[in-house]
Amino acid sequence: MDPTSSGQDSSEGATAFLLNARGITKSFGVTRVLRGMDFAVAAGEVHAFLGGNGAGKSTLLKIVAGILDADGGTLRYKGFDVDDAAGRMARDQSLAVVHQELAVIPHLSIAENIALPRYRHGSSLFNRAAAQRAAVDALSLIDKDFAAQSTDRLVATLSLHERQMMEIARALHSGAEILLLDEPTTNLTGQEAERLFTVLRRLVADARIGVVFVSHRMQEIRQVADVCTIIRDGQSAVHRQPVQSLSDAEIIDMMGQSIAAHDALAAAPAPSGAPSLDLRVSAEALSISGLGPEVAVGPGQILGLAGAPAGPQALIDQLIGEKRRAGIEIIHGGRPRIDRTPHEAVTRGVGFVSGDRANRGILSTLPIIDNMVASRRIAERRRLVRADEAREAAGLLAALRIKARSVWDLPSTLSGGTQQKLIIARWLNLRPQMLVLEEPTRGVDVGTKRDIYTLIRAMAEAGTTIVWWSTEQTELLELCDRILAFAPDGRATALLDRASLDEEALAAATGLAA
Amino acid sequence: MDRAPETAASAPARTGALRHIVSSYRSEIAIALAIVVLELALGIFVPNALTMGNFSDIAQATAPLIIMAIGVLLVVMTGGIDLSVGSVFSLVGMVTGLVMDSGFSSTIATICGLVVGVVFGAINGFLVTFVGLAPFVVTLITYAVAGSLAFIVTNGHSLPINDQGYWLLNGGHIIPGMPNFVLFCIILLIVVEFLLRRVVFGRWIYAVGSSPGAARLLGIPVHLVRFSVYVISGLLAAFASVLTVSYISNAEGTAGAAMMLQAIAAVVIGGASLFGGTGSAIGALLGALMITVIQNGVNLIGVNSFWQGSVTGLVILIAVLIDRVSKARR
Amino acid sequence: MAYFMSLRRLLAAATAVACVAVTAGTLAPAARATDKKMTVAYVAPSLDISYWQWVAYGVQTEAAKLGMNYVGMTSENSPGTQMNNIHTALVRGVNAIVIGPVSSSSTPPVLRLLAQRHVPIAFTGIGPQPGQTDYTSAVTANNYETGKAEGTFVCNLAKALGGNKVGMLSLPQDRENAQKYLKGAKESFAADGCDLVQVLQTHGLTVNEAVQEANDLLTGHPDIKAIYGMYDEAATGAVKALQTRGLIGKIGVATADGSPETIKELRQGEIQGLFLQEAVGQGIDATQQVYNALTGKPVTKDIPLAEPLVTKETIDSPQAQATIKRVYPPSAGAF
Repeated sequence: MDPTSSGQDSSEGATAFLLNARGITKSFGVTRVLRGMDFAVAAGEVHAFLGGNGAGKSTLLKIVAGILDADGGTLRYKGFDVDDAAGRMARDQSLAVVHQELAVIPHLSIAENIALPRYRHGSSLFNRAAAQRAAVDALSLIDKDFAAQSTDRLVATLSLHERQMMEIARALHSGAEILLLDEPTTNLTGQEAERLFTVLRRLVADARIGVVFVSHRMQEIRQVADVCTIIRDGQSAVHRQPVQSLSDAEIIDMMGQSIAAHDALAAAPAPSGAPSLDLRVSAEALSISGLGPEVAVGPGQILGLAGAPAGPQALIDQLIGEKRRAGIEIIHGGRPRIDRTPHEAVTRGVGFVSGDRANRGILSTLPIIDNMVASRRIAERRRLVRADEAREAAGLLAALRIKARSVWDLPSTLSGGTQQKLIIARWLNLRPQMLVLEEPTRGVDVGTKRDIYTLIRAMAEAGTTIVWWSTEQTELLELCDRILAFAPDGRATALLDRASLDEEALAAATGLAA
Repeated sequence: MDRAPETAASAPARTGALRHIVSSYRSEIAIALAIVVLELALGIFVPNALTMGNFSDIAQATAPLIIMAIGVLLVVMTGGIDLSVGSVFSLVGMVTGLVMDSGFSSTIATICGLVVGVVFGAINGFLVTFVGLAPFVVTLITYAVAGSLAFIVTNGHSLPINDQGYWLLNGGHIIPGMPNFVLFCIILLIVVEFLLRRVVFGRWIYAVGSSPGAARLLGIPVHLVRFSVYVISGLLAAFASVLTVSYISNAEGTAGAAMMLQAIAAVVIGGASLFGGTGSAIGALLGALMITVIQNGVNLIGVNSFWQGSVTGLVILIAVLIDRVSKARR
Repeated sequence: MAYFMSLRRLLAAATAVACVAVTAGTLAPAARATDKKMTVAYVAPSLDISYWQWVAYGVQTEAAKLGMNYVGMTSENSPGTQMNNIHTALVRGVNAIVIGPVSSSSTPPVLRLLAQRHVPIAFTGIGPQPGQTDYTSAVTANNYETGKAEGTFVCNLAKALGGNKVGMLSLPQDRENAQKYLKGAKESFAADGCDLVQVLQTHGLTVNEAVQEANDLLTGHPDIKAIYGMYDEAATGAVKALQTRGLIGKIGVATADGSPETIKELRQGEIQGLFLQEAVGQGIDATQQVYNALTGKPVTKDIPLAEPLVTKETIDSPQAQATIKRVYPPSAGAF
């Protein structure tokens, strides 16, 4: 077959789209997820792809990436239909994807992870020196310091945020003409995100590549995207409109999920205000020393942790009994808190919601009910599965407004954001003494964010001390009673009180852009 | 992950329970049907296959395998594997026979045998859980050690059991009309199925296999769960062994050699994933039954024994494919 | 977690130390230096069946009687391991070898090597490949003749019980002795007018498996009147199956080999005939032959031992008792 004639897209005329999806439909069982979705990406643009949870965004991205097959519609890459061999070849050669769930191979080195995907044949010899050069070149695109380190390190030893950088670097350096970035900035600091945007703009301008950019952060959408497509109920509510022509409110409105509250933060309940307790003498207060600033938080208060992962991670690990770090001392309820295992911590009243939902949050082969009541069973030392657990779980689902067909379904039938609500809800009504949250709003849409804020607030009001790490400084500023800020090297730099909370102070203390 | 068919439902607690039971036993139902079809097809060629006598033979032949497979199932469900069960089976038989041969009562001999199983289970559990070695490697080691100890304890001789009453353990009737080996299998099935569905510890077994990281952070005592399943697996392999010794009045050093792979195959046929997190006791039982039914059928039809492995392999493939198909349509 | 990591390391180290100690303790006696006595090595094909251990017992006792040292090895049913064992034995400086080969066809390279080194070798149980001559002696059972004799016996058993249909529980048919037994038995059945309705082969040589096979045999062919067992466990399994069905005495059983169990069953009338294979005797005779070769005495090249029939009536005769003592060692059980 001659791809230039039969497969060529003639209807588009002069506007050659790198990627052109028309009328895509896709159903799972009886559920129609995509109902004739249009999506086109031209060369030389950053294209924001927006949509609420459950709108069909991930499904379309998977179809575009070739992970799923569409039921109907046409999909063309550089004009070649994907039903033909030429179209599939165009896709394989021109598309690079950074998935939300990172696709890295932990047991291989950085260099191997970056270079391996370029080998098309298993029989090729692996050139280690070339791989290392490629890795350094790729990493230099977004972080010179990272590139200067050894590329022989195993990916398993990297932090989540380093893995994210590596994966982005791999995609940027792959020579792809279409870059598909699914929430690439979630694990990045402000500076790194800034560098990423610079590289993207340069690649778009110089190499005329097309970038699809998925994000929930309005600020960065404005910052980097030229046009946007908004998906709603499996169709394009907005197709290829310049971002400048739409207001934030219009965009949020069209995402369709939060009609009542345009701004999640505005709808969230306000902080409880300063409790009248004297923290130093309160029997239930949590105090942390050895980090620099002395921290004390009372029951019902929210302590925010801000900054790059190193510092908050170490503190969280110790709070939940995962790993102890020399120098940090925690006094809780008047006594030193030493939990040697997460089991000990949980039975002694510490709840935890991990930021790594796929690996450390959801129990994927167990039904929703087990996922919801898992913590209850341990905290209340239940021996038998109780008959009323189904009602308990259904009640929680209703309270959270989670739409599940049944509590016996697997969590994979829920969208990512809903799963997140689910694992936070494990602790609802349980009134743990302390609840530790690791980026609970990462990768969820605005509507779900609002729900999560409400949950957190409600749990604080029930008397739980909340420790909350987030890389989104705005939410910390809005909801926390005090914020402990960490520098990128893991040092705690400042403890900001409600009175002194503002973006500049936080930015200064964390070394990150607001 | 937006492929959420989040259609509204008013009372998800109640509506799902029955559907859940049907759907969660989907692969078990499929295997049960496959066994029935297989047995009926066999009856066309060999009418005697469908007699009570033959069913009783099959039940007797499969009982030890069922007991062993349920133990292996629990280990597999946590994402581990127990390769040592066959060797433990052999060793326990020899120890039981030896203790009885030395003049002790059959009760003491049986207890000694069970203790040996528990000890090997505990060694497996200790090395996997607290030393942190890979289950495959650990149980490969105990497989080798127990297998050689089975020869060492009696210098390789097989031991006849002279206690005339010992067969009652297997063949007696605690409940009139039901031989003990059937009773034991039923009790074990009910207990383990109850453990897995209704006891929190059972749910922990699923959770540990599903996501060890999440289970740990939830505060589930992952080490305790892992350790326990290996001990249970050792105990059940030992129990299967004393039952067999009671049945054939004989202890042999190679008695369990073929059983390890059969037990693992039974667990897999029964719908459990070797990656952990799924499986049921009834599935393991049906898997074991399937294997025995195939052997019985091949013998009855008179297929040359050289072909037996191929036939077994093909039928396992079919069973797994049925499971695959029944799970894909959801 | 730091606390736990160190605990794990500690436990790993402790386990390792314990393992080293146990291994050293086990191996120390075997590693003791040997004196100037002559040494005979016995290379068994495998040790998972009692038969080869009983041969080993014969070699060991005869070696002690002749003032020789004894070394035992096992080939795990692998010709490669068998060859390695021979090399190891030569390195250890053994003077003679008694072998139960993995198979006849695995013997030529062994014989070639030993002929070069002028080390005498005697076969037990399984003989060398036909056409090979470079060996000292082959002490074997005459499986073909035994097969014929047992075939006739089983056929008569069936006729006496009112039928002519018989079933067989066979050793795996990839073994030469199994093929010879079957050939002999089939010839007898044909000559005597019996119908061999089914041959089931074992895999694991366990009683448990034989019970299942006997059950399947009886379900598939309820009209058989006698069962031909090719090895002890087969007969014990058949007896077990007959017991549960209340068919003892209504269906006859005979087998080759002989073990404490089958002799007990013979005495109890559950087995009607036993063709004794002198495992211990093969070891004794083979050792005697290599000793003769080393000391310059005359050797007998081929010693095909008959497998004599014993029944409930003849088992306590002095002759039969003397033969049983050449079947298994006293430690295996009563005679």
